[in-house]
Amino acid sequence: MDCLARVEGEGALELRVADGRLESAELRIFEPPRFFEAFLRGRDYLETPDIVARICGICPIAYQMSAVHAIENAFGASVDGPLRALRRLVYCGEWIESHALHVVMLHAPDFLGFHDVVGLAQEYPDRVRDALALKKTGNAIIRLLGGREVHPVNVRPGGFYRVPDRADLEPLVPQLETARERAAGLVRWVATFPFPDMERDYEFVALRHPHEYPFNEGRLASNRGLDIDVSEYESEFEERQVPHSTALHSMLKRRGAYLTGPMARYALNFDRLPPAIQALAEEAGLAPVCRNPFKSIVVRATEIAYACEEALRIISGYAAPDMPAVPVTPRAATGFGCTEAPRGICWHRYDFDANGGIRTARIVPPTAQNQPSIEADLAAVAAGLVDEPDEVIRARCEQAIRNYDPCISCATHFLRLKVEHH
Amino acid sequence: MTAGAAAAATRRIIVTATGNPWRGDDAVGILVLRALADRLPKGAAVLFDGGCDVPSLVDAWAGFDTAICVDACASTGTPGRIRRIDLATQALPHGGNKGSSHAIGLAEAIAITRALSQAAPRVIVYAVEGAGFDLGAPVTEPVAAAAARVTECILAEVAALRSGA
Repeated sequence: MDCLARVEGEGALELRVADGRLESAELRIFEPPRFFEAFLRGRDYLETPDIVARICGICPIAYQMSAVHAIENAFGASVDGPLRALRRLVYCGEWIESHALHVVMLHAPDFLGFHDVVGLAQEYPDRVRDALALKKTGNAIIRLLGGREVHPVNVRPGGFYRVPDRADLEPLVPQLETARERAAGLVRWVATFPFPDMERDYEFVALRHPHEYPFNEGRLASNRGLDIDVSEYESEFEERQVPHSTALHSMLKRRGAYLTGPMARYALNFDRLPPAIQALAEEAGLAPVCRNPFKSIVVRATEIAYACEEALRIISGYAAPDMPAVPVTPRAATGFGCTEAPRGICWHRYDFDANGGIRTARIVPPTAQNQPSIEADLAAVAAGLVDEPDEVIRARCEQAIRNYDPCISCATHFLRLKVEHH
Repeated sequence: MTAGAAAAATRRIIVTATGNPWRGDDAVGILVLRALADRLPKGAAVLFDGGCDVPSLVDAWAGFDTAICVDACASTGTPGRIRRIDLATQALPHGGNKGSSHAIGLAEAIAITRALSQAAPRVIVYAVEGAGFDLGAPVTEPVAAAAARVTECILAEVAALRSGA
């Protein structure tokens, strides 16, 4: 009996096999943002960050950032200077803690033959300690800038409710310097894993910024020519209902499935990484573009190292702003925001009334956008395993799904596998 | 005061909860923490809300003599049923969370602390069977009632630990 499993049945994979060939792979993942879209209607714009932070317990900052950018876009406000830097800094914290958790505690066991992280901790305790220490560092940043780690309360349209002095940030420096070394060690460690030999020709979609590796800002771009403002998302992307899932599948209207997340960011923004991080990636065997989804763990580890580096850079140049937030005046308008959650682009649209009340909300999380790609990967993976026992198929499919670190709203039971043989 | 009583009086106790307060009965641990915050004698125990961040418990437990953990568990047909699991004498099943790509469970967190040799010497788990975990749903009546009973149990447990009983 799974005594302490909290939620059941929120992810399921169905494979249909006929005559020794895979006919279809259908993945069902529950979508929490739909509930929040309805819940936001009629709420005041100031409540939005607090509400959307609860969509995901691991990546609240991503939802808050996309929301406040959308609000500022609607109301004609602009955040720059130290406030902009603080937003990048808190996002660094979220990437560090989310990626560290995923790389070591959730995904690494798959590559090393462990059932779970408990087995990994017995053989590689120092790596698990590294992950916990990195997570603690990321959480420290979020706690300082977000007010608390769980459901941060300090983010608001226009900036923050309270901003730190330089002296408040200084204690993070030694922690981040150590974290940077741990992260580099992590990259070198995961680079030694045995990777299934698989590549797919993805359309990568990510933010692309003129100067920096993207967190909060940029145009939506792809390796197949997409280059649009985030406000034009709905002109190029659509959500389609599929019969086998309550979750909508996001697609490019003209080309279908796409991939967002660390591999996409890396492929489209390698030239924006600092030279030291580019060198680290190359040392780990990564080319400027990586198309093996199982090597996403190396890309993710590289992004931890980058986030540590970026956090140190921001702190070294920081001077507290005069005000914690710029003025934001509501008006009847529609606003768009898109930021890079740890697992990919998180796009928000809000329609406001003249008083800043939310009339409608639309939230497209990265997991929903990756679902078609996940299914296509699973089809490719399972096609070579149809004659294997179900448990072998399940293990490799779960490993493949974990390439994407899909957000399932902290559900515990994840994958029910059904294989139909005809 | 005997040496044993003196040791008991200085015992470091932490009570932790995990759960999503917006997912129905998943909030039971947080309800218990809130109730304890109002009723525990000052300094009797540290309260820690792990929220959805279960790995944070691994560090939170470090340095304590006793960890009391409260969490919801999947229903086996008796919502509100409370199970007290003392890891000194009982095993806590884990591995049911293997499929999750996004989180680890309480059982895994406890197992990790043991693998890293940083577990509290004494760990007691209060698991409350939930009925519903839908987003936005309130805590169900049986689980709310169970939260009140668990609170009383923990108050008595902490008092006993402090007195060396």
